[in-house]
Amino acid sequence: MPTQYPPLEPLRTSYRLKFLTDEQLDSLQKATLEILEKTGVRFPSQKALSIFADHGAQVDWESQIVRMRPDFVLKALSTIPRFFRMGARNPAYDLQLEEGVTYFTTDGCGVETIDFDTRERRPSCKADVGTMAKISDYLPSIGFIWPMVSAQDHGVTAPLHEIEAAWNNSVKHVQSETVMGEIPCRYAVEMSAIISGSQEEMRRRPPFSLVVCTIAPLVQDTAGIEGALILAEAGLPVGFLAMPTLGTTAPATLAGAFAMGDAEIISAAVLMQLHAPGAPVFHSLMQAWADPRSGGYISYSLDSRTRYAPVEMAHHWGMASLGACYGTDAHEPGTWQGAGEVALDPFLAGLVGADIVTGLGLSETYTLLYPEQIIMDDDLYQRARYQLMGLEVNEETLALDTVHAVGPGGHYLGQRHTRNHFRESLVRGITHQIGKDGKYREPRQVAIEKIEWIRKNHQPEPLETEKQAELRRILAAADKEIRKG
Amino acid sequence: MACETPKLQPIVPAYHVKILEDSQLDQLQAATLEILEQVGIHCPSEKALKIYAEHGGIVDFSRQMVRLPSQVVMDAMSHAPRYYTMGARQPDFDLKLDGKALYCATDGCGVETIDFVTRQRRRSNKDDVATMARVSDYLSALSFYWPIVSAQDHPETAPLHELDASFNNTIKHVQSETIMGEWTARYAIEMVDVVAGSEQVRRQRPPLSLLVCTIAPLAQDRDGLESALLFAEAGLPIGFMSMVNTGSTAPATIAGTLVTGDAEIVSALVLIQMAHPGASVFHSLLPGIMHPHTGDYQSSTLEGSLLYPIGAEMAHRWGVPTLAGIFGTDAQVPGWESAAEAASSLLLCALVGAETGSGLGLVESCMLLYPESVLLDSDLYHRVRNEAAGLDTSSEAMALDVIKEVGPRGHFLAHRHTRANLRRRQFSDLTAQPRQGGGYRDPQEVAREKVDWILSNHHPQPLDEIQKEELTRILKAADREKRQ
Repeated sequence: MPTQYPPLEPLRTSYRLKFLTDEQLDSLQKATLEILEKTGVRFPSQKALSIFADHGAQVDWESQIVRMRPDFVLKALSTIPRFFRMGARNPAYDLQLEEGVTYFTTDGCGVETIDFDTRERRPSCKADVGTMAKISDYLPSIGFIWPMVSAQDHGVTAPLHEIEAAWNNSVKHVQSETVMGEIPCRYAVEMSAIISGSQEEMRRRPPFSLVVCTIAPLVQDTAGIEGALILAEAGLPVGFLAMPTLGTTAPATLAGAFAMGDAEIISAAVLMQLHAPGAPVFHSLMQAWADPRSGGYISYSLDSRTRYAPVEMAHHWGMASLGACYGTDAHEPGTWQGAGEVALDPFLAGLVGADIVTGLGLSETYTLLYPEQIIMDDDLYQRARYQLMGLEVNEETLALDTVHAVGPGGHYLGQRHTRNHFRESLVRGITHQIGKDGKYREPRQVAIEKIEWIRKNHQPEPLETEKQAELRRILAAADKEIRKG
Repeated sequence: MACETPKLQPIVPAYHVKILEDSQLDQLQAATLEILEQVGIHCPSEKALKIYAEHGGIVDFSRQMVRLPSQVVMDAMSHAPRYYTMGARQPDFDLKLDGKALYCATDGCGVETIDFVTRQRRRSNKDDVATMARVSDYLSALSFYWPIVSAQDHPETAPLHELDASFNNTIKHVQSETIMGEWTARYAIEMVDVVAGSEQVRRQRPPLSLLVCTIAPLAQDRDGLESALLFAEAGLPIGFMSMVNTGSTAPATIAGTLVTGDAEIVSALVLIQMAHPGASVFHSLLPGIMHPHTGDYQSSTLEGSLLYPIGAEMAHRWGVPTLAGIFGTDAQVPGWESAAEAASSLLLCALVGAETGSGLGLVESCMLLYPESVLLDSDLYHRVRNEAAGLDTSSEAMALDVIKEVGPRGHFLAHRHTRANLRRRQFSDLTAQPRQGGGYRDPQEVAREKVDWILSNHHPQPLDEIQKEELTRILKAADREKRQ
């Protein structure tokens, strides 16, 4: 018997922040256009180069570098929809992107798991993807599913097994960041059509989307870009994620890194629009830092200013944005660092109006899954959600009659107004749970128990048996074709 | 040999937010005025009641109640300065409350300490106040000092000993939240005169300010009011803090809680302006939410952290600066919870334009000092400070020439622009410390070591010998008088 589902709880922002002035946004956009025109971006794909050439971009076939004029870029981008729908198995969980609403997902593609039962550290597997999809299915903070870890027990077809595990354990929209290349993407489209029931329904309410990483500086990935073209053709949303690292693959100044990463994203978005005008495409830029002493990748420097400025850059292009939250460099949940680095993230992402955001639940810079981490990150998410709600000021909440009745020096415990509102006055997260000894419990332990409760009690609405069989059939065909190839 | 105190690094936000709409602020202000006029405030001080009565307050001397017509409130508040300076021992460390920066202090008045050497939990003492003043003097996140714990080894005159320990160990502005009553206040002002050197300096660049708590609901503390009146007379800034608790000492709704606390604060600010028009005052609204099972004041519940920044917006509506609530975790130890609760409220306080905030360094709802907490909180502070600082989009920062030179598939490691700018990037002293054998060290362990390093190496500019002797003389006189 499926569990009763709680409704989604996206961030709804009652007040807004603008990090960048219009002049700054114009100047960043101008810089991107200049990079695209003068420096260009390398597309190591004959298919992509042909599309660019057919539409009048300047293509150097030998170096595989494409340069494009500003008017060419702006014309291509004019067909991108600012808002679109990300469908779900259950229509109640469709995400209609709109102003002032932010949907979150988990983090993705970790490679190790702290085992749910033994608590031993081990390589991640498909069953972990299924279990975490089930937990994400239950949490109202999670608007859509990223397969959280890699299905390493399925070799080269792991990405397709990850999305099957996600659909079999959640009714929510599934977004992959690992399906790469034309053939796997054709299989993913086929699986999506099974979930939707028809090609038309898949275009109307796409149950699947894809994030493709660019390669800094200023290069696209062959398999990534060719796979993205397949999705765009099918009307499934596709996003491009630039991850410039200040000092190694990007200039050591933030604005430079932003402009360069933006050029990577925009060049790919232009390609999608040339190939499939009107295709839903989103923008994502997640900068990091190189530790000057070790070259190590650092997600959270002490100066992580304007972490969400790329969201405004996306909106300035008229595109939806995938923001980046969490992803602590801490090695374990429940540490000072694990909260200190990320606690501001969901609040800022909501404040700046990101459309979709990843992602809760991993440690060690997106590589390690502790099952309880998602609950701790969820607590931070809920703090942000309440902070962004604003304040209700009206006769009932001002309670002046009650203030009169109590007067100076009294107390409010016996008042009817207190009884009416007391339950809603304290919203308790994992930090304010009282133990048998009357003391507050350790939040991490509360989180571990909550994971256990969800595993035991939550039964996601199952996928229809025929659809399950169809997905298995497609996977078997993919295993056969791709592994052989 | 005295060390130089590192420059202050207040939070200077490049952008702002407004949480409440003007119409909501008007509604809240109208409600406060209605409470002051129709319900009134309990004020157990003859001196204060007389001042209210002489300036238009409706006073019931037998019930010690005062009600304040709206016009009387607005007239009195019109004298309160919006901006002023809180002085330090050295002018470079003065705090110019001009609406452009948020200056933060330690938390204050904890009662227990995790011992610096033995790590055993024990009652706090004067040495702790002195030691943490020295640590705070070193930290650029801390712009002024609240005596962080109580000098319980000096029970009768603890607040004065806390001042002595502070003035002797930091050149920064000191704000007390424990000087209560005329007797103590007179001694404190005498000590301030020693530090300031003259009445003129005391008034222009006051090195001490005072925070007085109101009593919820809708009551004032006699000793608090009377010390505040003396401070105002001496030209020292004073603030009033309400810590109303939703559901127990205030209505169980947020708006009702806010206006109950606001009425307490504003009634006291009105008194100060009636007695000393133009006196430097500040407003501090730190409501808590009562835990329904324990009755505890909870400062950092899921929705609670919105309350402090809203308090700052209400202060500004009255035209006075604010002392915002920051940090103040309910966690029992420094860790995930203390970090989870702090940052967004601090950022919001900065973005709504709060001028001052307290406080870093305590856990267990402002009761317990872990020495390393102030380092951990400082790290979070700097994250927020940088976050609020905005983006540089100059041509040097945009680095277009560099991007063109490197082009697709290259790397930026060897470029002069990278060498020049990578050094300017700020990495955490705590989270980015490499560990021998690879990886990074545990930030809390690094923080503990850094406290030890500061204590071994940082010795702020001391007071002159004559000043030290004078402070000791005043303390002795106070101790002697108290014992008689």
